[in-house]
Amino acid sequence: MNMNKTILGYVPEESPIYRIHPFVRVFFLLVVSLFPMIINAPEWNLAIILFSILLLKYSKVNLSTLKIYIPVSLSMGILILLSHTVLGGIHPEFYVAFRLFGFPFYYERIVAAIDVYTRILPMIFLTVLFLSTSRERDMLVAMRWAHVPFVVTYLITMALRSVGMVIEDFSIVRQAEKARGFDPQGKSIAYKMRQFVMYIIPLFALALRRSDEFANAIVARGYSFTGLHEVKRPDYILTQYRFRFRDGLLVVLISFSLVAVLIIRFGQGGLTLENSLTLRWLELWLKGGAA
Amino acid sequence: MDAKQIWQVEEGETRSAGIIHVVITALLIGIGAVVGAFGSFSLPLGFGVNFFWPAIAVQNVGGIWFGAWGVIAASLFPIISNGITGTPIYVSLAYIPANLMQALLPMLAFRYFKADPRLNSKRDWIIFLASITLGNIFGALYSPLVVLKGFGLLTAESVPVFIWGWFGGNEVAGIIFGVILLKALSNVVITTNAFVKRWFA
Repeated sequence: MNMNKTILGYVPEESPIYRIHPFVRVFFLLVVSLFPMIINAPEWNLAIILFSILLLKYSKVNLSTLKIYIPVSLSMGILILLSHTVLGGIHPEFYVAFRLFGFPFYYERIVAAIDVYTRILPMIFLTVLFLSTSRERDMLVAMRWAHVPFVVTYLITMALRSVGMVIEDFSIVRQAEKARGFDPQGKSIAYKMRQFVMYIIPLFALALRRSDEFANAIVARGYSFTGLHEVKRPDYILTQYRFRFRDGLLVVLISFSLVAVLIIRFGQGGLTLENSLTLRWLELWLKGGAA
Repeated sequence: MDAKQIWQVEEGETRSAGIIHVVITALLIGIGAVVGAFGSFSLPLGFGVNFFWPAIAVQNVGGIWFGAWGVIAASLFPIISNGITGTPIYVSLAYIPANLMQALLPMLAFRYFKADPRLNSKRDWIIFLASITLGNIFGALYSPLVVLKGFGLLTAESVPVFIWGWFGGNEVAGIIFGVILLKALSNVVITTNAFVKRWFA
């Protein structure tokens, strides 16, 4: 099976996600990431997470790559909970749900922590979805299609490409150092910091050398800040992607969903924490139904 | 070459922004993204704030060596590195002013006071330390107080942890790696075409 290298991993070449125009995928990330900032009801934010997971499955992304995000998500959750409870101070006006090691865990603070956590998680999942399914080329096509100036598209796509190059350089430098007997396993933080210095200097030196080579290659191909010198040519990469009717429809649908969420939230007072099922359930669980 | 000569545009010398500066900006973004992601995975405090963030050195030296191009790279690479480590895109975008200042202040200080990037004198050291410290103070105050509080991610009581986390994580890493990079590579960088004497060239 042929695989496409995305920013975060590999996705099969025949993944259905590639039937959607890259611009639509960028637009989806930017618009749908706004939803958790508008929606307070945790169950709706959890629905966005579920939707993101379904899209990851639909895109044939290997879900085991998400394992690296489990510690990040857990530490973030613990941090949010600690920030709102243990570090949250003493508030006699709040309802004490329970005490742990003498610390009062207030019902209001727990609710606030759950609210924040369920708003941050969907944003993480959406970013992971985007990075897992997007290639550098997709970003380039999305920006070129939206007529972003040449210098900006060039800078961003080259930056994404250079991330891959730096990772390769990093592994070469690490192997070279290992071959010279440098072993960080079980060593102190000071030792590991010294190790990091040994990585960062060669990485910078390689970047400096590359900058000259790249700049000369680009100038030799007749490029300037504004694109090709004088000659107007068709953009090859855009000829490989067609913005179809269904892509337009998706853009309209995503835009309408944003407008709908805004109207429900601010026009009709829906999607709030106060009216959420989660709050009612938490009230029953932590306060035993006490108002 | 002394410190003044490094920043002096000689008579007849023409300096203009070119493709090489766009290329070095892209490469700086690449290095910063990788180093930043590495730091964010190792000692995370949450929401892109870390107890030890080596990528601050890329911001500091990037501004000093490559002027506004280094500042642009410093503003953009945390969006990638934070994204890889699971920070929401809008939180990363809101951090831009903090990241920008962390590169801009050393850039301005070295150019205004004509300090030597090779850190040859006590004066150069003071300018370096003061400028990165001021940048980190701005970042440490702006990010938790404006961004994280603004997004409703922190309570007022937990803000100090994040302020000290951001400041300490950047200051220590900035001093260690910034000094090593400036000492090791400034001699080479100031002779390259990518070196920026003014803002963009």
